Amino acid sequence: MMSSALLAIQSTNPIALTPNELWVINTFFYVIAAVGIVAALKMVTTKNVVHAALYLLVVLTVVAATYIVLGAEFAAATQVMVYIGAVMVLLLFGVMLTRAKIGDDGDLDYDSKWIGGLSAVSMFAVMGYSLWEAFGTDELPADMAVQRTGQVANSIFSQYIVPFEALSMLLLAALIGAVVVARRD
Amino acid sequence: MGGHPFLADGVDFGDVILAVVLALVALVLTLVMTMLMVWFERKVVGRLQNRIGPNVAGPFGLLQTMADGMKLLFKEDLIPAKADKVLFVLAPFLAVVPAFLTFTVVPIAGDFSNGGSGSSTLPGFLGSREFLWQVADVPIGILFFLAMSSLAVYGIVLAGYGSGSKYPLISSVRATAQAISYEAALGLSLAAVFLVSGALSTNQIVLNQVAEGYGGFNFTRWNVVTTGLIPFIVFLIAATAELNRPPFDLVEAEQELVGGFHTEYSSFRFALFFLAEFMNTVTMGGIIVTLFFGGPSGPQLLPLGAFMGFIWFFLKLMVFLFIFVWFRATLPRVRYDQLMDLGWKVLIPISLAWLLMLGGLQLVRSGDLSFVDSTSADLVIVIALGLAIGLLGYAMLNAAIRTSRSERLAEEGLKLIAPKSQDSESLAGHQTGTTQGGH
Amino acid sequence: MAQYLPVLALLLLGSGFAAINLVVSKLVSPSRPTEEKLAPYECGIVPGREPPHRFPVRFYLIAMLFIIFDIEIVFLYPWAVANAGLGRFGLVAILIFSALVFESFIYLISKGALDWGTLQVNRRLSPMVNEDRTVESTVRKVGLVGRFEEVESLKDALIDGNAATDSVPEQDGAAA
Repeated sequence: MMSSALLAIQSTNPIALTPNELWVINTFFYVIAAVGIVAALKMVTTKNVVHAALYLLVVLTVVAATYIVLGAEFAAATQVMVYIGAVMVLLLFGVMLTRAKIGDDGDLDYDSKWIGGLSAVSMFAVMGYSLWEAFGTDELPADMAVQRTGQVANSIFSQYIVPFEALSMLLLAALIGAVVVARRD
Repeated sequence: MGGHPFLADGVDFGDVILAVVLALVALVLTLVMTMLMVWFERKVVGRLQNRIGPNVAGPFGLLQTMADGMKLLFKEDLIPAKADKVLFVLAPFLAVVPAFLTFTVVPIAGDFSNGGSGSSTLPGFLGSREFLWQVADVPIGILFFLAMSSLAVYGIVLAGYGSGSKYPLISSVRATAQAISYEAALGLSLAAVFLVSGALSTNQIVLNQVAEGYGGFNFTRWNVVTTGLIPFIVFLIAATAELNRPPFDLVEAEQELVGGFHTEYSSFRFALFFLAEFMNTVTMGGIIVTLFFGGPSGPQLLPLGAFMGFIWFFLKLMVFLFIFVWFRATLPRVRYDQLMDLGWKVLIPISLAWLLMLGGLQLVRSGDLSFVDSTSADLVIVIALGLAIGLLGYAMLNAAIRTSRSERLAEEGLKLIAPKSQDSESLAGHQTGTTQGGH
Repeated sequence: MAQYLPVLALLLLGSGFAAINLVVSKLVSPSRPTEEKLAPYECGIVPGREPPHRFPVRFYLIAMLFIIFDIEIVFLYPWAVANAGLGRFGLVAILIFSALVFESFIYLISKGALDWGTLQVNRRLSPMVNEDRTVESTVRKVGLVGRFEEVESLKDALIDGNAATDSVPEQDGAAA
């Protein structure tokens, strides 16, 4: 059919980037990364639960934008649909079914926040170090091929078939958890 | 593959200018179309209810929307004392900006006849750039539309929460649950289109519905036919619910929720919500035309080139906009439990089963799935298998619904002062008995 | 990625349009707030209760169910796009996946997660009420009292043809 021909064309479509374009892309990345970092910090410091959820929304949007910068558009769309469209709604419903109080929660604080901060910093150090170790100064190839949806399908249904099927069991477990949380008694 | 040809290889200053011009044209076009849509809706509903509708401002009352917008501009802008000011101000933006952006993936014109790709070329003195008649043809195409409708939920959530008032809050929670329920049905029915098109980009989806025959027009190539009608019906119902339009407008059920999530909004902030709502209606009509009815493709009856495509698009769009208005004038509002039942227990299972069946049939036709030698026998086997699986699923669903119902009956039965034989069978017998007795 | 340039342009133009109009509105509109105007809208009465603090847990279950279907949809799209290339293997894989997700869905429904509102059931409210007391025996249909035969003849007339239909409605009106 037509789609197999399409796949063949899609997979051989490298886009070469000129230095000028790389500069634009890098600048764009730095801007959105800065936005993401500020939003993440605001998320943990704000005293309003709903505001915290919305800052998290900004962080997740920044992640989606980063995927687009990397040419992984399908992952970006997935990020928006699943995390912003579904997980955040779940979170907001969670907030509203426990306490939908409007305004700041003055007592919204955490006694052991210094320990939390410490573990966050050490987590950042470990992840940063491991990323640095793994990739170092590697650069993305200049002829960055855009990840097409067809390619995503090919890897899901070959290389990652077992995790894909196992995922459905994970979803079932999550659902049972939700039912237990919401049980009527 | 896909996308504006002028943006495919390197971007220079002229490309940026053209992109901004495209965006500007789209902005003006969406605003004008929204304005006309509001007028159209009021006029048609008026006629259907034996009224005249707007007829004072401008010819046929065409400028009524403009007049209303100007009036709202001059109205006092209130921010309630109990409101969360930041969220209250942010919410209209989150409603209106996704509404603008969704329009970007709709192809509104272009010459698709005689093997045309729908692209046009600017005249030489403007740089001879080739472009498509849509703001952007991103490779993920329709997924962009889904992503935007995910974002649009937050306009409602923030408006409801930020208002600091009870009706908007209830309305926003209701609206969110409704939106996510029908987004699942919407997404599943879309998958059938992707299956037959083999692409996500809107330009590709339109191209795939164009036939080689006379003027590129053959309605059997339209996805509404190739996907077998069911996905279109599911999409139309889910789209109506997603737009919060009647009969699914529980979000603004006046009798119980005052004005819905925008009760506390006044002046131009209210106008923005109103604008977003009608803009989404127009865009959703455009998406339906693109996905199922060949978009701007059609025979070149007049030698107008790309503009003929716009005429076809507009005619097809008008049909669906009329259908949306017709729904509003005809159908009574559904109850919340009916809404949820329709979305989850009917639309989602049907579209999932239909999609898997279509996938199987596609493989049979391409020869990948064969049980016996002849293709037609294979088709029969796959259809029979599909029906069997579908019936099994239906039986399971029915059993599940009955289980939950009998559990609830048992629970309620404990609280009732009722005779012991209060199960459903004796109830049914009792009913028929009295009906006969009444005569 | 350059394909997103017009989208970015429209994003800026769209938010600019909204912002400029809001600023214009701020400049030309009056601002005379009073305490009553700024109070939450309550159809004219003084708000007596705070907004609801809690919502039914069903909303949470709906959101959970949506996550699961959203994830399924996200996997269905690449399959749908590439179905012709993936062949039989892809179909079987997606069938298994869909069956498992559908099973989760069935489980949730059987637990009553999608039962909204009150239970729709016909039942007598109390054993003290006579079984013969039904809608038909207790509700008096105005205009039909004591004229049961006439109604029956009207029915017959309707079934037989239109012969008697002209006269019967007149009698109806006179009796009422």
